[in-house]
Amino acid sequence: MRRSLPSALLLGLSSLVAAVYKDEVGRIDFHHALVGVPQVETTFFHRPKKDEKASLLYTLSDVGVLGAVNPNTGALVWRQQVAPGMAGRGGHLRAPEGENWVAAAYGQQVQAWAALSGRSVWQTEFDGRVKDLEIMELTESARKDVLVLFEEDGVTVLRRLHGALGTVVWEFREVSRDIPLQVSTSVSNVYVISLHGSPSSYSLKVTTLEPATGGRVDHWIVGTKGGVQPEDVMFVGANSAAPILAWSSNDLSKLNVHVLGPKSKQDFAFALPSDTVSVDIHAPHLTQSQPHFLVHTRTATGNKAEVFHTNLKSGQITKAYELPLLPGLGAISTSSEGANVYFTRVTEDEVLVVSSESHSILARDSLSPEARVEAVHAVSEVIKKAGGKEFAIRSATVAKSQDWVLIRNGKVDWTRPEGLSGAVAAAWAEIPEVEDLAKVLAEEAHTNPWNAYVHRVTRHIHDLQYLPDYLATIPTRVIESITGGAVAVSKTTGLHRDSFGFNKIAIIATRRGRFYALDTGSHGEIVWSADVFPQAPGAAFDVKGLVVNDAEGTATVRGANGEYAVIQVADGKVLEAQPGDESTAISATAVIERDGGKWLLALGRDGKPVDGVLAERTLDQTIVIQEEDDIIKGVKYVNEDGEIIKKDVWQLQLLPGQKIASVAKRPAHDPVASIGRVLGDRTVNYKYLNPNTVVVAAIDSAASALSVYLLDTVTGQMLTSQVYDGVDGDKEISCTMSENWYACAFFGQYTLNDGSDRDIKGYQIAVTDLYESPSPNDRGPLGDAETFSPLDPVDTPTGVPLPWVVSQSWIVSEPLTNLTVTQTRQGITSRQLLAYLPESHAILGITRHGIDPRRPVGRDPSAAEIEAEGLARYTPAIFIDGRNLLTHERDIIGVRGIVTTPAIVESTSLLLAYGIDVFGSQIAPSGTFDILDKGFNKVTLLGTVLALAWGVVLLAPMVRRKQINRKWEAFM
Amino acid sequence: MAETPVVAAPYWAAQLDFPPIAKSKVPGIIDPPGFSSVPSGPKKGKDVKAPQPRKPPSPEERDTLKLKKAWEVALAPVKGLPMTAIMMYMSGSSLQIFSIMMVFMAFKNPIVGLMATNQAFERFQTDSNAGQILQTKLVYVAMQFLALAVGVWKINSMGLLPTTRSDWLMWEPLREPVEHAILAL
Repeated sequence: MRRSLPSALLLGLSSLVAAVYKDEVGRIDFHHALVGVPQVETTFFHRPKKDEKASLLYTLSDVGVLGAVNPNTGALVWRQQVAPGMAGRGGHLRAPEGENWVAAAYGQQVQAWAALSGRSVWQTEFDGRVKDLEIMELTESARKDVLVLFEEDGVTVLRRLHGALGTVVWEFREVSRDIPLQVSTSVSNVYVISLHGSPSSYSLKVTTLEPATGGRVDHWIVGTKGGVQPEDVMFVGANSAAPILAWSSNDLSKLNVHVLGPKSKQDFAFALPSDTVSVDIHAPHLTQSQPHFLVHTRTATGNKAEVFHTNLKSGQITKAYELPLLPGLGAISTSSEGANVYFTRVTEDEVLVVSSESHSILARDSLSPEARVEAVHAVSEVIKKAGGKEFAIRSATVAKSQDWVLIRNGKVDWTRPEGLSGAVAAAWAEIPEVEDLAKVLAEEAHTNPWNAYVHRVTRHIHDLQYLPDYLATIPTRVIESITGGAVAVSKTTGLHRDSFGFNKIAIIATRRGRFYALDTGSHGEIVWSADVFPQAPGAAFDVKGLVVNDAEGTATVRGANGEYAVIQVADGKVLEAQPGDESTAISATAVIERDGGKWLLALGRDGKPVDGVLAERTLDQTIVIQEEDDIIKGVKYVNEDGEIIKKDVWQLQLLPGQKIASVAKRPAHDPVASIGRVLGDRTVNYKYLNPNTVVVAAIDSAASALSVYLLDTVTGQMLTSQVYDGVDGDKEISCTMSENWYACAFFGQYTLNDGSDRDIKGYQIAVTDLYESPSPNDRGPLGDAETFSPLDPVDTPTGVPLPWVVSQSWIVSEPLTNLTVTQTRQGITSRQLLAYLPESHAILGITRHGIDPRRPVGRDPSAAEIEAEGLARYTPAIFIDGRNLLTHERDIIGVRGIVTTPAIVESTSLLLAYGIDVFGSQIAPSGTFDILDKGFNKVTLLGTVLALAWGVVLLAPMVRRKQINRKWEAFM
Repeated sequence: MAETPVVAAPYWAAQLDFPPIAKSKVPGIIDPPGFSSVPSGPKKGKDVKAPQPRKPPSPEERDTLKLKKAWEVALAPVKGLPMTAIMMYMSGSSLQIFSIMMVFMAFKNPIVGLMATNQAFERFQTDSNAGQILQTKLVYVAMQFLALAVGVWKINSMGLLPTTRSDWLMWEPLREPVEHAILAL
């Protein structure tokens, strides 16, 4: 049979249905638009408009996303990615009171964003790292300015930036060995706090500056020598009437407080409880607020708070009252209204509000059961109701489960699963069936016939109890199937498989060591989450291997520090867990499939297996490992007298200056529907299908040359290579591989060699096809051999089975990252190349026909070529059409990886993009040819059939009568 | 009974004697046994005043005539062939209802013709011209094959004949590698 017709049909279909339609958004896809877990110092309520009471919740999260959330609904109002990539903690965010912008800083950049719309007001970049950012509430003019403290190679630089324009008003430089820490302002002065001295004996230095000019007024040393460490300085209040500086002693036994101001140059020391774990200080940030502050102390079991008052005249600090020790973490937040300062305390079972004046409780909301989250930190808004007695409290609480929960009057208003952000790895899993019929049947097959028969009969009798229920559902099912459109919306809740295979579980590991399972059947709802490897602040969990064993319904994970866990897919139960440390670090893992199961072989830094798994199982295959960043090796592990010896089989040492930029391998599920490609004249070009190949992209940054090598992983032989000149090694290089082709995306610039002296510059995608031989109908040197081995001796020098390569490249207008290829069940559906567009915040799907290296250059394809191969004339640029964006209008940020998996129906592949956001969708690269369209009208079809049947019944007697009459009339 | 008046025969009796000529003959309905469609009787007798009947041809002349007819039958399949070929060529190689029907007819007609070879020549067959009729039969068969060949040419040009490598690609095995390497990258 000729294949051209279906392929032409598929091509036609694909051009019709490639786009994601608006009515499919939210039906076939889901999106978790996240901001990341809020950080305590950069989260606050703020009024974006001066004259309106409504406030928004602003945060600069631990993944470097600045977001504004509507506190009433929890919906995202706007967000901006402030830090590049998925940066760690840090960053600064402040909002001036009564202005319509917020100021943020991260790394070297300072930005101001419109508070209501999230549009950029200004942004500047300086040398040196931003150490602190503070708003100057009182300036000589009506506007408010931004003070930014930088550290430039040991030089302390404080810049005052114009609030509306972002220009530098003045700059203060101090060339000293001091480490700048923070900046603070009061009504009359600007204070720069820096660490003075040598690393072994630091003390604090306060420098006072003139707010209008930035001139130095005074400086003094605070604290005893050696008594201060950078991480001990915990709080520097700003903009209040009496800003304070607080630091704790190394052993958390004593808290030192210093009131910043010219009058008093004295410290106050307070003893802390003996088992203190952490200390936080909460104080208002407004000039008109009373100079009160609260010290929140957490011990191993509970938390308590002490409120202190500062005497503005004498600079004395006195303890006003104490909040009792309560069990749990507890969270305290400050809110101020006029001169009043309120402290809101979220305890295990209630929310309390106290005034800073006295310890009497102004309001008390007991928490509803679902609101009893373990609060890590919170920001609160306390509003005195019109009556003057009642208070409305809402607290945006970061729970220990890494959810962001808004508690209003003791009840949960909304929950944002912010812990899902910062994903580092993801894998697809089948929904485990409670009783798998296949398993039961296999069990029956193994027993003797009589037992199997008894088992089967009892099983059938047991199944009979479900019969009445089943019969009862038949009418509703029939009606549903008629009226409910093509894919009937199932009313079953919870985890269940569907006949199309669209319902699957996506397992996601975040860098906070938390694991999530999302159900694609219910729009990406979180099925469970488990904190498997809690990370210390500043540490990030890195996944080296995540593999799902569907037969057992478990997921196995291996972390970079040797962490090991087996998690049950259905409910997130951690079956085995083993925390890691530096000594058990893992460099890579390999998925080994054996006996129907999969397991992870973890390799240590020296390239040897870390655990003794190989002692009992032998592994005779070649393992390909990477050493340093310029060596690829094939090794074998040999068990010699109980000791595992690593033996090198082959090695690819890159040229000096080259570094591995990207490695691409064929997906684990990569079925080949046809081993050849039918050309326009009905001859066949046989595909070079070698599963033992890997694509290595090596960048030489000095020479700006990208070399793409195709390696045979059994022998290490280089099968083919391409060199691209003028490639920028600083930009991301991404490669992918499937079937008999591979693609790499990079940024490059080179001169055309057609004599026109033109430059090509831009983001490029290079696609390479591999065939067995250059001539059609020829299977190359191996001929019709049924097996092949690259280790076999070669008789003739020309007989080395090397692939014949067709390569072509295209220019695209945007960078493409995280290249991936769709996977379908049998590989019949044409493949689609998926890429994340970091500039458009979208995922692009390019059909394989568009990036076919066989597209004819300089001529139109013949009719036969169009029919057989779907070729179009080569155009050097690929236009990024909005219709090819699989994300429709959604804004997906920070994608770090894309994983695909086949559904049960051949036409569809499931996609999951993870990173800061999580996005999942269904893609049908050749159209949903095996599913009825949503517009398919079953009612009309049935109506037509019934009408026709009725017509036949009516007309039959009439026709019969007429025929008889005609026969009789014949003789008349 | 001489006094009995001569009564005219009733209408039905008259009709029985002189049945009316059937209005029309419906094809496919055979006449009942004994029914003669040729009207007889005195009326008819008037018409039968044909000229002297022609001298019947001699058996040799009959044979020649039959042979001539047989040749006509034998060559009939190729008479329309150029026309068919041009139409087929014009209809192109795409799959449409018109070309599908043409291809169907191009195969059906020769095959049906071949099956009915003996019937086609049955009426020309006599004991004396058996040899010559055999020749015509052979030519007839050849001509039908020619017509069939046009049909084959047509489906070949439509690409429906499995004559190329691509048609058998589905049954060609995937070359399996002997070794397997595992990637830990």
